[in-house]
Amino acid sequence: MLAVDASDGELARMVAGRTAGEAEEAEAELYRRFAFRIRLYGLRHLGDEDRALDLVQQVMLVTIEKLRQGAVRDGNQIGSFILGTSRTMAIDLKRKERRRERLREAFRPHATVAAEPDAALDLDRVESCLAQLGERDRAVLFLGFYAECAAAAIAGEIGISEGNVRVVRHRALARLRACVMASRLTA
Amino acid sequence: MSVECAAPIADETLADYWTGDLAPPDAAAIEDHVFACSACARRLDAVASLGEGLASLARQGRISGVISHALLNRLQRDGVTVRLYTLSPGDTVPCAVFPGDDVVVVAMRADLSGVRTVTLRATGPGDVTVAEIADVPVSSAGDVLWATPGAVIRQMPSQHVHLTLRASDGTGVLGEYVLDHAGTS
Repeated sequence: MLAVDASDGELARMVAGRTAGEAEEAEAELYRRFAFRIRLYGLRHLGDEDRALDLVQQVMLVTIEKLRQGAVRDGNQIGSFILGTSRTMAIDLKRKERRRERLREAFRPHATVAAEPDAALDLDRVESCLAQLGERDRAVLFLGFYAECAAAAIAGEIGISEGNVRVVRHRALARLRACVMASRLTA
Repeated sequence: MSVECAAPIADETLADYWTGDLAPPDAAAIEDHVFACSACARRLDAVASLGEGLASLARQGRISGVISHALLNRLQRDGVTVRLYTLSPGDTVPCAVFPGDDVVVVAMRADLSGVRTVTLRATGPGDVTVAEIADVPVSSAGDVLWATPGAVIRQMPSQHVHLTLRASDGTGVLGEYVLDHAGTS
């Protein structure tokens, strides 16, 4: 069976008990399927790209090693194993980061802008699509996705209910995505 | 291998998860699902990608329109170079954009007591409207913040820009302000 056609559990079993180099295709497919999920988890819980990518590397390394050692009991639960490892390692990274942050606070003169990897998303396109949204829609999107304000805080900022913030955000996001996708198709 | 999801998570819930609006047990349930379901993981990736795009634009100062103090604070905290001009009603302020400015914010002070929303109109030479923003909710801060990317202002010729702030309910003008734009310094 080709790795690309295998279920997650079958992939885990292809790697289980093998030594380095014996199941490269299955390991690569496992990485392809889970690395982006770990990155998302890292972005959500650790807050920046560098730490999220560190988490991806560490979690995938542990996962492959544990599979090779035969230490993952149920291959069908590989997603749960990877999520559990991500949670444990994220807590550990946060603990280390807090220690580093205390040191940095003592020496850092001011905040700096992090470098922005522009991934696959065309920012010019997003900017142009944003300009087509209403003022309130843009405010809700920037406050939620950039300023990291919860719906309750946004509600206080722009004078609508928390429930309405969620509705506005959902519709604005859908419109933005539709516009970006449409521009992509016509590009 | 592509498998359809039997119980897909709504996009709205994925957005709530990404912006931190779910209670921890609900967020953990989303994570459990996403690590078991590639279809929903891809959809979450799409939400996150747009969210990251928005954050990137903001960090580059590519943000336009009326913004809140929370957003201004976040921009400044992130090291975005904000050139801030604060005007009281009747003020004419000489203003310029400097090469390192990412975004220019005009803070228009006004008596906003009892006002829920305002309309902002900006006019250039010949009374031509260059921007009109209607029904902007006002905060208790007593001013309205209008942001324009530095790159956009650098393209503007020297000119007077008149700003008029009105209550949306038609009760009258809250403030008039003039920016004496001198171009790029």
